[in-house]
This record gives sequence, C-alpha cells and structure tokens, in this order.
Amino acid sequence: MAIFMQLLLRSLETGSVYALAALGIIIIYRTSNITHFAQGAMGMFNTFAVTFFFLYGRMPLWLAILMGVATAFLMGVLVDLVIIRRAKRIAPISKQIITLGLIMVVLGLASTVFGVDPLPLPKLIQGGEFDVLGATISYNAVFNIVFGLALMSLFFYILQRTKWGLAVRTTASNELTARLMGVPTKTVTMVAWALAGVLGVLAGVMIAPATKVDLNVLDAVQINALIACVLGGFQSFYGPVIGAYIIAIAKNMIVFYGQPLGLDVWGEQLVLLSILIFIIFRPNGIIGKKIVKKV
Amino acid sequence: MKKLNLSLKNPIVSYIGFGGLLMLVPALILAGVLRNSTLTLVASVIFYSIAALGLNVLLGWSGLVSLGTAGFMGLAAYISAYLTHDLKLPFELALVAAVIIPTLIGILVGFISLRIEGLYLAIATLAVSEILRKTFEVFDFFTGGYSGKPISFPTILGFITQTPANRTLFPILMYTILVIFLVAVMILIHNLMKGQFGRALNAMRGSEAAAQAMGINLLKYRLMAFGLATALASLSGVLYVHFIKYTHPGSWTLALSLNLVAAIIIGGARNIYGTILGVFVVFAMPDLILKQIPYFGTIPNFAFIVNGILIIIVIMYYPYGLIQITKDFKKIWLKLKERFS
Repeated sequence: MAIFMQLLLRSLETGSVYALAALGIIIIYRTSNITHFAQGAMGMFNTFAVTFFFLYGRMPLWLAILMGVATAFLMGVLVDLVIIRRAKRIAPISKQIITLGLIMVVLGLASTVFGVDPLPLPKLIQGGEFDVLGATISYNAVFNIVFGLALMSLFFYILQRTKWGLAVRTTASNELTARLMGVPTKTVTMVAWALAGVLGVLAGVMIAPATKVDLNVLDAVQINALIACVLGGFQSFYGPVIGAYIIAIAKNMIVFYGQPLGLDVWGEQLVLLSILIFIIFRPNGIIGKKIVKKV
Repeated sequence: MKKLNLSLKNPIVSYIGFGGLLMLVPALILAGVLRNSTLTLVASVIFYSIAALGLNVLLGWSGLVSLGTAGFMGLAAYISAYLTHDLKLPFELALVAAVIIPTLIGILVGFISLRIEGLYLAIATLAVSEILRKTFEVFDFFTGGYSGKPISFPTILGFITQTPANRTLFPILMYTILVIFLVAVMILIHNLMKGQFGRALNAMRGSEAAAQAMGINLLKYRLMAFGLATALASLSGVLYVHFIKYTHPGSWTLALSLNLVAAIIIGGARNIYGTILGVFVVFAMPDLILKQIPYFGTIPNFAFIVNGILIIIVIMYYPYGLIQITKDFKKIWLKLKERFS
C-alpha cells in the first residue's frame, strides 16, 4: 500500500506537468486551430529565462518564476500579434508548420542567449517531507500537485462561469459566428497564446529540478502532452487533462509492477500501445464527441 | 511506334538530368571548388528527399498526416546495420529485408487510418514512432542502446569494398548510389501519381464518400499509400545508415518527422521538385548558404534562426509551397519580355 501510494503521488506530480502542457496545447488548438508543436520549445526558452533570472539576476526563486511568467506572457502575445493573427486564411496543415518555424527560431535564440550548457534549477520549496499512508512525499511535490490542480480548477471555473470563459468557448466552437456576435476573437486568441506560454513555463519550472535546464528539457513533456490530447479528445478542454493524469499513472504503475516480469524498460511502449488500441476503438478519445461529416 | 521524347519537357528526362546535375557535386569537390563536407550535406538532402517523397504520397496526395516517418527510418537503419555489420549478410539482402519489415508495420498503421483521421492520426503515428524510438534505446544488443551503433561502409555487389587505396573515391561511389536511388524514386512517384493510383488518391482526398461511390476501394488505396510511404522512409533510413555509418536513438525523434512534414509544405505538396526544394531549405540551407554569408554567418545560431523565420514567411506568403515562386519568376520574365520587345 505504501508503495502504491508513493507511485500514485509521484504520478500525480508528473501528471500535473503533462496536464499543464496539454492544457496549453488544447487552448491553442481550440482557439486558433493550430497544433502547437512549439509549446515545449517556448516553455523551455522561458524556463531558461527563469534560471537566468535566478542564477545571474540573483533574484529569489519565486520572483524569478514570476519574471519567467511575464516573459512567457509577452512571448505569447508577440507570437500572436506578429504571426498568428496574419495567418488566418492559411490551410490548417500549413498552419501547423508555422509552429515548426517557431521551434527553430526559439531553439536558435535560446542557445544564443542562454548558451547550450545545462543549468541547475532548484526546487521552489527546499527540503522537508512528510508521510501520507506510509509514503514519503516532499513539500515541493505536494505544492506541485496542489498548485497544478488549483490552477486547472481556476482555469475551468473561468471557462465555465465567467464572461471571459464564454468568449473563449464561443470562439472555440465557431470563430466566425463568434466574431459576428461581437466577441473580440482577436483578443481571445491573443490571451490564449499568452496563457499557453505561461502554462509552458510553469510545466518547465516544475519538471526542471528533476533533471537540468537544457534545450530538450520539455521534449518528453511535449510528446506526452500531445498524446494526452489524443487520449482525452481534442473536442473538450478537460479531456486532455484527464488523459495526462492517466498516462502518468499508467506509466509509473506498469514500470514498477511490471518489473518482476521484465517489463520495466518496456513500460512506456506498453502504455503507448494500449493508447493506440484504445483510440482505434474510440477514435475521438475519452470525452471526444463524434464529428458528423457531411457529404 | 511512339517517338521518344528526349526534350527537358519530358519529366523523366528532366529527372535523369537532375541526377546528372547532382553528380556535378563530387566532380566539383574533386576539382577543389567545393569543400568535402558539401558531399555529406548534399547526400543528406538526397536521402531525406527520398523519405519526403514517400511522405508526400500520404501528406500531399492522400491528405493524411503521418508523424511516424522518423521511427520507420530508424527501424530500417538499425535492421540494415544489424544485418550487414553483426550478421555479415550482403548489403543488397539487408536492404531488401530492412525495407520489407518496416513496410509491413506501416501497412498495419494504414489499417488504423481507416478508423481515425486528421490530427488524431498524426499523433497516433507519432505514438508508433515513439514506441520504436524507445525500443531502440532499450534493445541494446540489436541497436547499441544510447551510445549508438557505428558501422563501416557496405560491400557493394559482394566485391567492392573500401580499401586504403580508394579512401576518397568510396564515399563518391556511395553518393552515386544515392543519386541513382533518388532518380528512380522520382520516376516511380511521377508514374504512380500520374496513373490510376494517383487519381484514386486525389479522389479520396477530395471526398471519401464520392470516391467510394465511383468504385474506389478505400482500404486498398490507403494501405498502398501507407505501404509506399513507409517503404520509401525505410529506403531512406538504409541509405542514411550506410552513408553516415552511424545511428543512434537521438536521430529518430519527433523533430525529424516534423522537419520532413515542414519540407513538404514549404516546398509544395504534390510536387516532386518542390519536395526536394523543401528538403534543401529545411536540412541544408543553414549550413550550405546562410553560414557562408560574411559577418552575420559567424553569429552563433544565426543560420538556424533565419531558417525558422524564412519557414514562417514562406508559409505565410507562399501557402502552396516555395515551388510557386517559379511561376512568379515566369510572370516577371514575361512582363520584361513584353516591355523590351
């Protein structure tokens, strides 16, 4: 039981990271109809910025993170203003490629500005751990789990209960009609890009202490977030979040409990394979609605 | 009897001519005009072009997005490396085996494409590619694990091997083989896509229901499209590993698959020269052109950043691909002609 709890808590922590990244991808997909392949790269850039503010700006970590959130926000706004807003009439497949160009620009900028050496980023809450049902967990992990859940609850509250959320949902459902109804869709899209940037840097700051801040710090997160979106379904905002937690939990459980069977190194492959089989039977994901095609 | 059309207007003649043009690169290197490293760079354009031409059958002609190319390329590269290097089998046999095995998996993925489409299909193929990549990492007696697998140049036709005497000439021989394969693939794709297969794919892209009503078997052509795309990705992987002589799991990531998709969109979907142009822009332009610009070229990563910006600009102003630029040039040319005549 203690081991199970330990696994579950650790999965919830990585699940939060995947969920934040997936939420960033889905909000862009729903408002701009773009698969945001550069989510990880932009998150990486701003995580580097946080590390720089912390290490060389000699700021306390919380302030550095706030500064990183600000740069992420600005970066998102800039990307929307300079590129996305002008690319409305481009075919959907070509639009995705814009984010590939963004990856190249951001990677190039990051290695020019921050260098290519991996940098350390400490945990937000240093030291201290306590027991839950026999499992030990650090305060930082608890903070990550709670913060992730709280942020997502806030997001869903705004989405469902406020005027702003209504604007986002109408834009997501039909951009043209929303504009005719007087929804400021341009502002909605801009805020969506800014928000995706912020979610990216938060995911980066959460995952960075486990490894180091380098150019690939969010690569695995990006792939898992994309797969979470498919598992949960691109048609809803909360499907990908559920998908993200499921992937994190399934991966840790299979890796641990498969160990006696020699399955530990095959854990990730098995999870991906089961997701593939799942979407063959439910092509629109867990929560996805079926899109009726007209001839 | 039909007279043979040997003008450059005949696409097949122009493809062979293009191959001849590519053979100028080693000639210029031997003459000392170009640097040795250019050969590897142009060779990489060639093998990535083969994979991109295959992917174009899916992305361009069928309208199906696949992000699994890198995984299949890697699988073929490892199989071929294992067969020739560890089992000492002939290169030709390894090539056939390394193309057939991934192709069978690719056809399986084709079955998935009947159920899911669009973005879901793209990420499902990404999952297949990730499964393969993780397997390269852990299956180390076969793949060499994280440290990668170095091999030597293959023995061609059972008797041509690399010896100290032909040190400089052997890479050029390998390069020639690459060019021959590229020209063959260009002709193959041209013929297939101008024929019944291409027409069926065009119809399916337009409307699946209408295509079915015209008697097109969706399953058959989807599987053929996936099979062809995977076979060419595999061929590309085999040529990659025998030219570069090294493979490791880090080469076969999502980034490569995305770059190949980008190459097609940038160059021009459903256009053979466009695809090669796109591959050139994405994979070779930073090293071959941008880094040679005086002063700016020396800024670290300048080439990479400019390439990213160029890609975005091309997508925004040439949404049908960079190959459209030739039409603009033609228009300007005609205008100039009119003015001065």
